[in-house]
Order: sequence, then structure tokens, then C-alpha cells
Amino acid sequence: MTSANKQIRAARYGMTIDVDRCNGCGACMVACSVENNVPPAHEGATDRKGLTWIRVYKVDNGEEYPDRRTAFVPVMCQHCGNETPCVHVCPQQAVDIDPATGVVGEMPQRCLGCRYCMAACPYHARYFNWWDPAWPAGMEKTLNPGVTPRMRGVVEKCNLCHGRWHAAKEAAAAAGKPDTEPVDYIPACAEACPTGAIHFGDLNDPASPVAMEAARAESFRLLEKLNTQPKIYYRSKKDWVREIAAAPQPGARKEKVHA
Amino acid sequence: MKTNRREILMFAGGSAVGVLFTPAPWRLITDTALWSENWPGIPAPARGEIRARFTNCSLCTAGCAVRARCVGDQPVQLSGVSGHPLSHGALCPFGIVGHHLPYMPARVKEGPVKEAAAAVADGIAKCGPTEYVAMLDPRPARTASWTYRRAMAALKNGRYVAPSIDTSIAVDLSKVRTVLSFGVPVLDGWGTPGNVNVARAGFRLIQVEPVESRTASMADRWLRVRPGSEDALAQALAGQISHAAAADAAGLTVPEIAALAQELEQNGPVLVLGSSRLASTAGAVVARRETPAPEEWKKAAPAADLASLPDRSVRVLLIDESAPGGYLPWNAIEKKLVADNPVVVVFACSREGYARHANYVLPVGVYPEVADDIPPAIDSVVATFRIAAPLVSPPAGMVKPEAFVAAAAGLAIGDTLRERADAIHKAGRGTLFTYADAKSQALKDVSADNFWKALNAGGCWIDEPDSKPSAARLTTVASETRPAEESELPLAVVLTHELTPGSPLLSKVYRESNLRLAPGRVALNPSCGLDEDALAVFETLLGKCRVGVTLDAAIPPGVVQVSGSPALMDLCAAGARAKVVRV
Repeated sequence: MTSANKQIRAARYGMTIDVDRCNGCGACMVACSVENNVPPAHEGATDRKGLTWIRVYKVDNGEEYPDRRTAFVPVMCQHCGNETPCVHVCPQQAVDIDPATGVVGEMPQRCLGCRYCMAACPYHARYFNWWDPAWPAGMEKTLNPGVTPRMRGVVEKCNLCHGRWHAAKEAAAAAGKPDTEPVDYIPACAEACPTGAIHFGDLNDPASPVAMEAARAESFRLLEKLNTQPKIYYRSKKDWVREIAAAPQPGARKEKVHA
Repeated sequence: MKTNRREILMFAGGSAVGVLFTPAPWRLITDTALWSENWPGIPAPARGEIRARFTNCSLCTAGCAVRARCVGDQPVQLSGVSGHPLSHGALCPFGIVGHHLPYMPARVKEGPVKEAAAAVADGIAKCGPTEYVAMLDPRPARTASWTYRRAMAALKNGRYVAPSIDTSIAVDLSKVRTVLSFGVPVLDGWGTPGNVNVARAGFRLIQVEPVESRTASMADRWLRVRPGSEDALAQALAGQISHAAAADAAGLTVPEIAALAQELEQNGPVLVLGSSRLASTAGAVVARRETPAPEEWKKAAPAADLASLPDRSVRVLLIDESAPGGYLPWNAIEKKLVADNPVVVVFACSREGYARHANYVLPVGVYPEVADDIPPAIDSVVATFRIAAPLVSPPAGMVKPEAFVAAAAGLAIGDTLRERADAIHKAGRGTLFTYADAKSQALKDVSADNFWKALNAGGCWIDEPDSKPSAARLTTVASETRPAEESELPLAVVLTHELTPGSPLLSKVYRESNLRLAPGRVALNPSCGLDEDALAVFETLLGKCRVGVTLDAAIPPGVVQVSGSPALMDLCAAGARAKVVRV
């Protein structure tokens, strides 16, 4: 995809998520499902077997009432930039990193459904398609024509709305802009967030708001000790939220984080 | 050469092993994945011209501006309109999937229209001198509401019943320094969410609530109080009872209440929000002009509270549930019906609400199938007029509630939305904001036809600012105490604010995650003795029903949080107590 003689300036698309502004409304989750043709929950789906490319976890400080406090942490594929675990374990080369964008992509056509990548992902950000994708009668008409629905038996995950990136590239080309520059696009979750908690942009562009927000002192990434260099940055003024970000299970409700 | 069986078996075995060292089996495995890619079970998205259309969401009073990405005429994606002066580009999760509502599996698709019309006519004819024909409109101040009022005025015993909403006042969030909220979901759907988010940096939010709601978790300060003690705290802050009495009732300390009172005094203007009260200390609540309406409509019947009707006096009850609005528990309605054969007709798109209690359920079009206007939200300081312009056609057989009611009352109506738009145009004030080009222009510079066209293309009329401080003041209502209940019904009920979601995709937020309490579920503290996902019976003085149990340590002991679904709301009057027993 990248050609050295074209001297394409590689982007490193990423996000910043202000946890203190997230009210857990779920707009990002449903907007993602609309954009990427993720089907409604199957009757047998639970919070463990569901299919949500982005999931907002309700986390707490581990205390009992009345000292209990909650926060909402949207978690999607963290688009690891270093030793990406899912890329390493996939036997089918169904997972790759786009050098032009830094996006960790998933090719369901190649996926065998072995779920090695799910076991390898430290963020629980990959979801297995347990059932045939099905929509209520007539609702198939509302599917996004820019994204192909996936079949049962494959693993799915966030690709930072790569379909939108392609559309932006095509629009830029049609407008006569050179294809050597990163394009301006925004994933569905960032567009939908009604509180403005999610920001998206090129982390390689030091002038971008996302790069500046990521550099702030209160920014953190999930499980930083693993050194996977995620491109999703979080921000919170609450100490206990930052402590949870370093824990192995962000959704663990009963885990005590304070001694 | 003679070949024996052993050699044939050795050849076959060797071949089988040898094949594994060729690319063939691995290629086959890859190909099986490719073959399965296009199996017939996977729906194919529609193809066609991609274009943008604009409308306004009518799923709540916020009326957020909507940009619909369409394939041909079919909307496939809804998003907010950035740069909109009222909604500021925000759209809530319910609005994002609004285009799925026509396809919800539980939708009512047919109903006995002729039989219902005959029964209503018969009921009107039989109506005695002390009996009424009532129209219940849970979403008042719409143009359809004017039609209902006119229809009820045309009937001898007609009564228009609606929640008491004062549309002549509004909240100016830009002038507020402190918001004191008694359980109001300020940051979770109250007012116009986009406007609240924009104004959020300018005010300090103090949330008074027994349970840590989404708003409480994001508030600058969350005051945990005992369920039902909010009124005592409000009375103490208004100087009507002592701080000590309020502290005793709410589970707070006297210094905490004194500090709160001092903070409110020093950090004004203060806006006080409660389920039945609205007040401000200086100028945050303002007067708002009415959206103009044709003069001939002004002879309409006034709105009445349901409580003002005598018990057992309503012979014919019509309920417009087509537009989501406030939900009155059925027991409050049922006691107003006459004892012998009342006629209850509900216009609804699903059977989950009042339709469960109706004699006739008539199917209606839903957003975004039908045109309906959206009255200004509580935080809109100027009058507005917006139409939820249809994006798709309704299926055959849908009933227009206002046409049905007008016909029953013998009232001839035309295109009421157009008549309202013409009345606004005639008034000649304000501006027209068009979404496609994000332009505002003075209404007097636009012709009536172009104004109507712009409204149907998702435009918005915004009145001139004429905000005057309102004389609204803090009023308090004493809590209803029921000590006799407490021993038998040990749990205080806290209702969540959302109603049953319509789009199947919203299952992402309550089944595939624990973000929202699913319809038909209650949340309890883990110390309650029940198991997660246990089936239980939820019982109040008004009845009982089966529920699923969610355990949540954020719920205080002695409290049950109830999902905002109609079946459960029917059992929960204000200050209700309950018990939850394992099946």
C-alpha cells in the first residue's frame, strides 16, 4: 500500500477519550453498529457473547455503597503500534497493520474463526460472530452500502471505520488533491459522541488536537506496562480510573483496586 | 509386477502424508473461508444514489436536527447537524437509530379502524350529562395538540387532558452558574442534549439523588439522600423547615445542608430542577413567547389535568401514543373511566404501552414516516417551529390520530402543519435556519411557499429573542409518607428515566453490555439475597409482575431501581414502595 518512491507521509490515526465526559449513553456503540452493519443482539447473546466493535464498560472504584463511584470507559481495538499481539498469532494473515494509517485491520474473508487473536488481545476488543447476521424483516434496507456484512464464524473488531477512510481518499482524489497526504475523516463513534468525549485525528501531526491531547499529563493508555503502544489515549482526573486502566480486566466489577 | 494390498495401502498413506506438504490443503482451507463469504444467509445492502436529506427528530422534546444519509430514498444512517444553533450537532443513541423504528418487530401493523370509529361515535352519543369524552395527549403543544383541543371544544362534553407543561417559560442555561437537580437527568437526555453540553462548562452541577445515575456520576457534586427525602431537602433550602429536620430525613448532616445553602447563595444564578418544580434565583428562568398559531384555532378547549376529572366520569377515552411523551400510570387513568363499558382507543405503534389496556388499538406511522412538529424544549429561550419531515413512507393502513379525532368530533381540518407555518410566516418575525447550507435568513425575506418547502427539508424557524425574567419561584410539595407500607414493602422504588427502546440495535446497550437497565428488569444491591439474572416477582400496592434481577453494588440497600418500561411504571406511583421475591 505504501510506495517508497511516492514518499507518502504515513499517518498514525488515533483517538483521545475523555472518561470524565463520557456519560455512558451508548451512542458510540449504536452508531458503530449502524456504520459497520453489526447486527442486533441475537436472542442468545450476553455481555460475553455479544458483538460490539466498541463497548462502553461501566467501571467502579471497587468500594461498597455509599463510597462506590462509577465511570464509563469506551473500549475498542486499541490499534497497538508495537508487537501487535493479534497480528502475531493469526495463522491466516487475516490481521494486518496498514502502514499508511497505522490502523490494525481485519479481513473476515481470510478469517478461519480459530479465535487465537481473541485469546491474544489483552484488551478483549475482538468479538466472535457466533450467529448468522440477522436483522428484523425490512431492516436490511437500512444497511450501510459501504460495508459488507460478515458471515458467522469469523472474528470482528474496530477498524476505525476504514470504509470512511476509503471514501475520504476517493473524495480527495476526485477533488484533485495529492494522495500523499493523510485525509480528513472521522469514525462513526467520534462523530456520534453527544458529549464530545471522543476525539479522532492523526497522532503524527503535532498540530492536531488529538496529538496535543495525547501529550497531556493526565492522558494514559490501557495496560501501558505491556508496551503495545496503543493509539487510543484516555484521560481522567480520577486516580481510581487511571488505576483501573492498568488492571488486567477493565470490566471486572468486583475487583478491588484499593488496598 | 504384482501389486498387493499392503502396497496399495502404503501408497495411499504416503500420498495422504505427502499432500500435507503441498499447498493444496491449506489453499482449500482458505478457500472455504472465501466460499462462505457470500452465502445466502448474509443480507446484501441496497445500492443506489447516495445523498443527504435533513429532518428533525421527534422522539423527544429536544427535536435535534438530523442529517440522514440515504441510499436512494432509504435512510441508512442518521447523524446530528453540526453548526445547528439549538442542537449543536448532537444526537442521542435513540435518535441515531431512529430510522429503524419502522421495522421494529413489535410494531402494530393493522387495527379495527371502522369498528373503533363506530364505537367512539356510539360512546359520544351515549355520553351522559356528567360524563366526558377525553383526549389524552402525553406530548402537548404540538400542532396535532391544537387539533385535539379544537375537536374537544367541538364536542359537548369534550375534555383535552395533557400533562401540565408551561410552554411560556424556559431555562436560559447560559446565565446559570449553579444547577441544583433533584433527580433530573440533566446530563442524560434532559432539555436539548447538545445545548446542555455546550453550556456545561459554565455551570456547577449539584445532583441530589439516592442512586448514582449517569448524571450523578458526572456531576460536580453528588448528594446521596434517602429515597423520597428530596422534598424535605428542598423545603429546608427554601427556609420552610429546619436544617436539622431535613438532615434527619435525607440522611445528611446539618453542616452539609448549611454548606449547600451557603453555596447556592454565593454562586448564583441558581437553577433548581425537580420532577414537578422549576425555579431560579435570578433570571435563569425566562419568559418565552408562544409559537404563532392561526387565530381561528384559539377557541380550542383548554388543557386539563387528569386529576381534575371526577372519578368514573370518562365514557370515551382517546390516547395519542404516537409521539413519545410522559407516561401516566394506568391506575390513575383507569379510575377516571366509567364503570360500565368505557371505550378506550389508543393510537400506538406497539402494544407495550397503553395498548395493553385499550378496547381498540389503531396503528400509526412512526418517526421518520409521518410529519409532526416538535415544540421547543425547556432550554430553548426562544420559540421554535420544526417539522419531523418524513424520510420514508408509512405502510398502508396507518391511521392519522388527529384526522380520526377530528372526524369523530365532526371537525373539518385541512393541512394543519401548513396552516401553522402560514401563521408563523404571517407574524413575520424570527429567522429561518436551513440545514443543508447552515444559513440563517430573516423570515420576512422568505416567501410563504419557500418557508414551507424549507421546513419540509428539515429547516427550523427560530423566534427573535425576547427573553424576560420570569417570576418563577421555588415551590415545594410535602412528601407523602406511608409508614404502614414500610413493614410489608421494604424497598423504596427509584425509576430510571428511559422508556422501552424501539430499535433492536439498542439491545447493544442493555443486553450486550450493562450500560442501561433492560425493560422488565430491576436492579438491587447484592445484599438483597437474590442471584444475578434470577426471575422474581416485583410487587407494589398497585399490583405485581415478573421481572429479571440485576445486582448492582451502586444501588443502596433498601432501594430497588426499576427500568422505565410501561408494565413496571404502571405499578409505581410517586413515592412507591415495593418488594421483590424470588419466583
